[in-house]
Order: sequence, then C-alpha cells, then structure tokens
Amino acid sequence: MSERGRRTSSAVLIYVIVLVAFQIFLITVAAEAFLADDGGLAWSTAAVSVMMAVAAAAFLRYLRP
Amino acid sequence: MAEPTPTWKRDFPYQAAGEDEVTRREFARYLVLGAGAIAVGNVGLAAWTQLRTINTGSPRAIVALDAVPIGSTYLFDYPTGADPAILLRLHEREVVAFSQKCTHLGCVVYYQSDEDRWHCPCHEGNFDTVSGDVISGPPTRPLGRIEVEIRDDRMIWALGRPE
Repeated sequence: MSERGRRTSSAVLIYVIVLVAFQIFLITVAAEAFLADDGGLAWSTAAVSVMMAVAAAAFLRYLRP
Repeated sequence: MAEPTPTWKRDFPYQAAGEDEVTRREFARYLVLGAGAIAVGNVGLAAWTQLRTINTGSPRAIVALDAVPIGSTYLFDYPTGADPAILLRLHEREVVAFSQKCTHLGCVVYYQSDEDRWHCPCHEGNFDTVSGDVISGPPTRPLGRIEVEIRDDRMIWALGRPE
C-alpha cells in the first residue's frame, strides 16, 4: 500500500471510530428521552444515529480490501 | 462467501500467528456493524417511547372517595401496571391525579404537604399541586395529568390522559 493509501485508510478509520463514539453518546441521549417519555427527542436521536451509521458504512468504500 | 480451503492447507494444517490478525478493513467493518446495531437500538427505543405515550388509558374506577382523606394522596397505576400514578384529594369533592414519573428523568415524585407541591427528590424538581406545571428545578415539562372525576357512587374514576 502506498503512503497516500495508508494515510487515507487511517483517516477513514479515525472517522469511523469518531462516528461510533458519537453513536454511543446518542444511545445515552435516547435512554434519557425514553426515561422522560420525550418521543420527539427520541425520534430525532434515532434519525441522527441512523444517518451516522449510514455515513460510517459509506466510509468503508474508501478502505481497500 | 467464504473461500474454499486450499488443498495444501488441508494437507499441512499449519497456522501462522499472522492469520489471526484482523485487517484494518475488517476492523472498520466490525465498527460499522456496531454503529448499525446502535442505530437499530436507537430506533427501537424511540418506537418504545412512542408506544408508551400513545396509550392514554381507558376509564376505570380507582378508589372510593372516602378512603382518601382531604390533603392526602393515594398511589395507583394508570394506564398500565407499569405506570405509577398519584392522586391528591384537595377538597371535599376535588381531586387531581398525575403520573408519578418526573418529566426530567423519570424518578418518582411525591406530595410535599408542608410546601404544597409535587417534589422530585432526585434532582430537586418541583411542580404545582393543581396544574402540575414546573415551579423549579431541571424539568422543563409539566407532570403528566390524568383526568379524574368523582361519580355519584362516591368512587374516583380515572378517565384518561390528555394527549
């Protein structure tokens, strides 16, 4: 793998790790919304969480096998 | 699809330490799978929250009026057995009832007679006795009101939760 390819894959990996860390934060927000019976907050958290999962999956394209 | 095991590997089943290593792409794939699982969990929690709030309850008798002295409370479950609620008799023929779950983080509220307010001991949230509106503390929404009425047979009935 070239130097450029290695850097790209490292960057993608870091992006994915950050997204997953944010997802873990979002699940705590969803738990709070659940406890407070706040449906609006729960659905918006779920929407952001799904978008992040899709973004993380999209980043996989840039990682060579 | 998994690749078939090569003949040489079947004949010489050696395993190098490097074969157990996870590649960068595999690691990222596990992370993405984890992110997907968390997203599914988030959607599940949102759906569960929605289903709980949709159930506004159906009318049913709670307790006899004479069993609740003026100024005292009565605990019951409404609309399901998993929804604690509290009723307060204000005057001879005036009662109010609320969900006992604090709208901040779901702790149980109780009536403070000396302060005449609903109080949540977890984070010092306080609510108005009659309206359930927030007086002070971290909650931003009023307590969930339960409509109640006193019927002719002197029974207190819960009629439902306003949406």
